[in-house]
Amino acid sequence: MDLIQSITDFAVQEPAIFALIIGVVGAAVIAAVVNVGAMLVIWGERKVLSDFCNRFGPNRVGGRWGILQLGADAIKLFTKEDIIPGDADKGVYVWAPIVASIATMLVAAAIPFGALHIGGKDVPLVVANMDISAFYVEAALSLMAIAVFMAGYSSNNKYSVLGAFRGIARMIAYEVPMGVCVISVAVMAHSLNLVEIVQSQTLWYAFAQPLGFAIFVIALITDLGRIPFDQSEAEEEIISGYNTEYSGIRWGLLYFQEYNNALLGSILLSLLFLGGWQGPIIPIPILDIVSPLIWLFMKVVIVLWCLIWVRASLFRLRIDQVTDLGWKWMLPLSILNLGWAVLVGSYFA
Amino acid sequence: MAGEPMAVDYYIPLIIFLIMGAIVPIAALAAIKIIAPNKRSRQKLSTYEGGLKPIRDAKIQYSVQYYLFAIVFVIFDVEVLFLYPWIYVYANKAMQQFMVFGMNYAVFEMLLFIVVLLVGLIYAIKKEALRWV
Repeated sequence: MDLIQSITDFAVQEPAIFALIIGVVGAAVIAAVVNVGAMLVIWGERKVLSDFCNRFGPNRVGGRWGILQLGADAIKLFTKEDIIPGDADKGVYVWAPIVASIATMLVAAAIPFGALHIGGKDVPLVVANMDISAFYVEAALSLMAIAVFMAGYSSNNKYSVLGAFRGIARMIAYEVPMGVCVISVAVMAHSLNLVEIVQSQTLWYAFAQPLGFAIFVIALITDLGRIPFDQSEAEEEIISGYNTEYSGIRWGLLYFQEYNNALLGSILLSLLFLGGWQGPIIPIPILDIVSPLIWLFMKVVIVLWCLIWVRASLFRLRIDQVTDLGWKWMLPLSILNLGWAVLVGSYFA
Repeated sequence: MAGEPMAVDYYIPLIIFLIMGAIVPIAALAAIKIIAPNKRSRQKLSTYEGGLKPIRDAKIQYSVQYYLFAIVFVIFDVEVLFLYPWIYVYANKAMQQFMVFGMNYAVFEMLLFIVVLLVGLIYAIKKEALRWV
């Protein structure tokens, strides 16, 4: 307890230095956690998808479960020849994976990765606990679209350019409904701070505003660019879409950021709509401290599993169907949900 | 700098995260300069187009219909941007005593704003500005 007290004292006395230390430590820890998490997501997706398809999936490297498959893939990607196509716009081409990586790290900075239950209180594990973190995270999530467009347009390949244009059209069609859903949640929580949004959920917002939940899930899948909304890399139509010309580790970085985003997106979904780390405290020593973490982890795993389930079950929509759905259905419905949130929220408050 | 934590202090970690996000891929790209083999040829550097030589530049001029999406998006994105500060007005206890037509003043104002925008959306849909071609 003394340690925590002295840390809080220091945080009050020297806020700028404290923020700097938290930033450096947090960046190192979260970069490791998110990247390892994304590797596990990739492995888990391959494993779960193969279960859905009634086949084995990775089962050679690293024992029966193929757990070291990604290590082997990484070694392969690192030792492949580095090719930048002659016609490509070299500067933008090189920077696209870097921008993608920056985008995911910026999302990770403001997302609470859970909480620790210390002394009867939940201490949230978040680096930048801003007043507007829900707004910030939603804005940073859509930065990925810029990286996708940079990659597609700079490749100077017809398939890539088509994929890039589709990616932007898809993103802007769902950006507005997603933002309105975040606002609906904030209206009920009376705050845009993700920590306060979680703490205000005595009733999960998935139940308080089911329509908003449905719209947010669809908009999130669109933002992550997964089936049924992966028109920007539809392999049957446009080879590999925006990353056709990428190979080796440059492709690996882009691919990896997609899964980083999938992980962060499912954490965001759990925080906004599924009660975050809230749940009964497990009455066992040590486990009671990490029990909020366990609850959040379970929710995130279930959300990710459902994302893979959707990918295994559904087909890809046509791009005109996607934009139609976004503009003509999701946008009016999300505003309807905002009205619902204002009406119902005034009874909760 | 001692005293109360300022709002700016929350944004210092973001800069560090931005740098960290750039360092990881740059380190990876530096590593392949050393590890990866380098046997260049003109065939390898050519753009992929189903095995044939690429015909003309890929940076095509897209249909003007496409940019209408972007224009409509800008309008509605600004709407969303106005909704974010509106939450704090709505949540403000002092604002809740003002009533118009039996509803909260903040809610009433936003209702007007959204109705105007929805009329715009219907107009855009009827004019087929949001039709993919």
